[in-house]
Amino acid sequence: MSDWIAIAAMVVVAGGLPIGVVLVSRLLRPSVPERQKQKTYESGEVPTGDTRIRFSIQYYLVAMMFLVFDVEVVLLIPWAVYLVQDPSTYVPAFVFIVILFIGMGWAWRNGAIQWIRPKGRERVRPRDV
Amino acid sequence: MNAGSGVDVDLMEAAIWTETMSEFLGVDPGPVGTFLLAVVGAVFWGSVVLTVVGVSGIWFKRKFNARLGDRVAINRVGPAGLLIMPADSLKLISKEVVVPEGADPLLYRLAPMLAAVGVIAGFAIIPWGAGLQLADPEVGMILAFAFASLLAIPIVMAGYGSNNKYSFMGFEREVAQAIAYEIPLVVSALAIVPLVAYFGDTTSPLKMSEIVAAQQGSLWGIDGLPIPNWFVFAQPLAAALFFVAVLAEFSRNPFDLPEAGSELVAGYLTEYGGVNFVLLFLAEFAAIFFGGALFTAFFLGGGAGPLLPEPVWFLGKTFAFFVVVQWLRATVPRIRIDQLLDLGWKYLIELTFLNLLLTGAIIWVM
Repeated sequence: MSDWIAIAAMVVVAGGLPIGVVLVSRLLRPSVPERQKQKTYESGEVPTGDTRIRFSIQYYLVAMMFLVFDVEVVLLIPWAVYLVQDPSTYVPAFVFIVILFIGMGWAWRNGAIQWIRPKGRERVRPRDV
Repeated sequence: MNAGSGVDVDLMEAAIWTETMSEFLGVDPGPVGTFLLAVVGAVFWGSVVLTVVGVSGIWFKRKFNARLGDRVAINRVGPAGLLIMPADSLKLISKEVVVPEGADPLLYRLAPMLAAVGVIAGFAIIPWGAGLQLADPEVGMILAFAFASLLAIPIVMAGYGSNNKYSFMGFEREVAQAIAYEIPLVVSALAIVPLVAYFGDTTSPLKMSEIVAAQQGSLWGIDGLPIPNWFVFAQPLAAALFFVAVLAEFSRNPFDLPEAGSELVAGYLTEYGGVNFVLLFLAEFAAIFFGGALFTAFFLGGGAGPLLPEPVWFLGKTFAFFVVVQWLRATVPRIRIDQLLDLGWKYLIELTFLNLLLTGAIIWVM
């Protein structure tokens, strides 16, 4: 129990630091609002276009791969803890990881873990830039 | 999970800061007293961490990088430029905060604060030494990874909230990178868990103190071998993979793509200045030390070492990790984002899983 009390105390102390720094800064800093200062930085040019651009669909595929793997890792943690007490649990875990590898190979082959698909495989619609 | 004998539990409980302090004071504090003692401990370790982070982030980093590039760097402000630390902090804190137009003011202002809170709070579970660790829950290692992956969220808030195209690209990269290297990070560390259970003879091998305790004998438990059983020797592949994954998880060179000075200006930091920049910068450097502390606890035997007390060795090893990270910064060129994803998904994940299987097989045979 005292572990979690201590973690709560650390969160409180860690939370006090940024709040304190921001408050001190508020006392010290000037405030001279001006429209030109508030422009977003675009290498000195006048900002153009919308910032909230679309993501490529590949991005979501990678995210889904992550979800799958994250759940599998969560399932493996109890096994790693328990392995020494009962080494025969190795066999099901081995099968589990082999299945995982097969899935990984499939995703790899289908290009689910690429940042950008190569041009050759692209559909007719041009990519949104 | 709590299958240890009563004696063991007593010993473990005594290894926490609050227990040590209440024993030292000779009183039995209630929950409130425990909380107050924990606050004292948190302030102490928080100050230690912030001091180390401040010295290394503002002064040492610049000096060291300049030395690697055969330059001198800061040498005017005080002896060896040491007074740059108060000067720089004061300068940054007293700067005006300009919220860029079109930015989400809440996300923009909240992100730096959250970043600092998450990273510093993570130091609660670092095993500085027997009796000095603030908290030692049974899920220690998992909690450590939870804190480690927390930094990605403020970066998303900062990148999205800034309404800047560089920031936006920076956070896109950060997310892709954080999720690609999260899995190798956890799985490579998972490979030491059976070893902790084996050498530490424990039923709670995720505890940080148990992980350190299991590394204290000689290598592989062979009597008389002069090499310690640090998991960097017992599990060299896991150590190497974990090191790479930590670098990528906290966006250090050669994986510093979310910031990528020469491509994205400063990535998600582009629109930040003044006190908000201080907090994000602090969180970033504290994260390096958090990663270093995890590496020290998992692979470098924690506070093990001759003569000097445990916390000194622990901090020293963590600092050595920081020096190596800065060394890489000055020597290794940045890789491309698609190369980064390839490395993470196509090599690191497979290697970490194979290493885990290999470890399990060795444990099974033994």
